[in-house]
Amino acid sequence: MNPILQFFQNVVTLRGTYDWNTVFTFLFYPDILQGIIITVLLAVLAQLIGTLIGLLLYFTRRSSNGVLRGIGELYVWFFRGTPLLVQILFLNAFLPYIGLARPLIQTHFFRNLGFQQDIPLDAFIAGLAALSLNEGAYMAEIVRAGIDSIDLGQLEAAKSLGMTYWLGMRRIVLPQALRVIIPPLGNEFNSMLKNTSLVSAISVAELLEAAQAHAFSQFRPLELLTVASIWYLVLTTIWTLIQRQLERRINVSNLDPALTSGGSWWKRMIGFGGRETGVPMPAGADHH
Amino acid sequence: MNPQGTPQPPQGYPPVPQPAPARNGGANGALPMVDARDVHKYFHNNQVLRGVSMQVRKGEVVCVIGPSGSGKTTFLRCINHLEKINSGRIYIEGQLIGYREQSDGSLREDSEKNIAQLRSEIGMVFQRFNLFPHMTALQNVMEAPIQVRHEPRDQVEARALELLKKVGLEVKADAYPARLSGGQQQRVAIARALAMNPKLMLFDEATSALDPELVGEVLKVMRQLAEEGMTMVVVTHEMGFAREVADRVIFMDGGVIVEQGKPDQIFSAPQQPRTQDFLRKVL
Ligand SMILES: Nc1ncnc2c1ncn2[C@@H]1O[C@H](COP(=O)(O)OP(=O)(O)OP(=O)(O)O)[C@@H](O)[C@H]1O
Ligand SMILES: [Mg+2]
Repeated sequence: MNPILQFFQNVVTLRGTYDWNTVFTFLFYPDILQGIIITVLLAVLAQLIGTLIGLLLYFTRRSSNGVLRGIGELYVWFFRGTPLLVQILFLNAFLPYIGLARPLIQTHFFRNLGFQQDIPLDAFIAGLAALSLNEGAYMAEIVRAGIDSIDLGQLEAAKSLGMTYWLGMRRIVLPQALRVIIPPLGNEFNSMLKNTSLVSAISVAELLEAAQAHAFSQFRPLELLTVASIWYLVLTTIWTLIQRQLERRINVSNLDPALTSGGSWWKRMIGFGGRETGVPMPAGADHH
Repeated sequence: MNPQGTPQPPQGYPPVPQPAPARNGGANGALPMVDARDVHKYFHNNQVLRGVSMQVRKGEVVCVIGPSGSGKTTFLRCINHLEKINSGRIYIEGQLIGYREQSDGSLREDSEKNIAQLRSEIGMVFQRFNLFPHMTALQNVMEAPIQVRHEPRDQVEARALELLKKVGLEVKADAYPARLSGGQQQRVAIARALAMNPKLMLFDEATSALDPELVGEVLKVMRQLAEEGMTMVVVTHEMGFAREVADRVIFMDGGVIVEQGKPDQIFSAPQQPRTQDFLRKVL
């Protein structure tokens, strides 16, 4: 056969050794499903904590206290300036030095939750901490942009009514800033879902690590990486759909908050409201 | 930089004698609502207020006029301490606002809580309304009494509806600001300030961001407030309003009070060349 044709045939068929059966077998394998849960758990927790850190960093960097401001800047400089993988490895190596690794590793936290494959809690916490701290540095910029986009007159109006800075922030500025923050926050979470795979480097059995374990035992790296990729795609696709819906509602309610009035404040914030006002919603925006 | 600058003494109006403020009510409780003494204010090197002294009696309506950049807004914002002052003192009913007097006579910025407490008794209406866009008109009005004073919700709601009715907007109670015209927004903003039962209202060009046909409805509300005896300091370009409603008109230019007096006197027989010049341009 023409060697060039032969080459392409090899690429397409992988010399006839690529085994789809392995893919299907492991796609719903318990370890893998556990890995998905760990991945989602890590991503959600790290995004939550990271967002809180970002919020905290906003106030330290806007503080009148020079030391606080310096710490805030240093934090962002450090965590944006070093690789996430290094931060993960660093924190994992760091735990034993502060005497945390030992008690944590003996805690069968995940087994108690019903996981068959136990996950060392020290590595999980190191990974979660690294992902959260790193995310905080990026959320700091997003939170800053969101809050700074709100007209200063809003806080002044709040103050003129007798509100303190914090009350004005909580009741007036932050709820408005949230609308600005949510779209980039959604993008961050999309990255986060994928970045969790880096904690496989410290043997946390999240999706990639779970797949890798079987890849080695089965000598089927391509097939198991396919399994992992499929699941990452599923996760990010689901999130993208949720995000799109969320943003559409924010856009609608930005045009006119009346369209999404009613319900609790967060429903109003992210735009899940009824149509109590009876104002017709624009086409395409009314599917719950 | 010399923090005193070169304050120009107010000309053409007899300087108000300035006794030390009586702390505990004074004779007949006749403390002025606002008592500003030699207020100086800088933005960096730009001296914006060069020794402003003025008093506002209870129930008095004072209109402040003057060319753009003369420091009217800045002075108004100093009265509720949205701006810090560099020297001088401002008393609200005998109470120093924004600062605490130290035993050596120097001033130190007051605690945020005390400042907020004093501000809660001073209503302010902004040129650009500054309604809270994520709340309905009613929620805007109810926000401060509930969050700041912790008054019971149903009580606040009843009063808020009354206030909206007073400014002619009870039907818009559930509308968001984005759905209201400028004039309606400003009237909600006035109701929002009134919800705190202020003893003093500050208006900063409340009508100058409005389309001409909407100015009247806001001025009407302000006039009604004045008739009810509200103490008001009104920065305005509406000379007709100043002439009709004000008890006293103050003309500011270059960071000082150039001239003040009864509206008739200021508008018909201004003494100072700068006042004459300004009025010739705007009337
Ligand atoms: N936050 C600020 N920072 C720096 N300079 C300021 C600030 N606010 C006002 N100024 C300056 O102070 C001066 C007085 O401004 P102010 O707004 O008090 O004038 P005004 O009499 O209200 O004018 P207008 O009629 O245009 O509203 C102007 O020269 C202005 O540029
Ligand atoms: Mg002004």
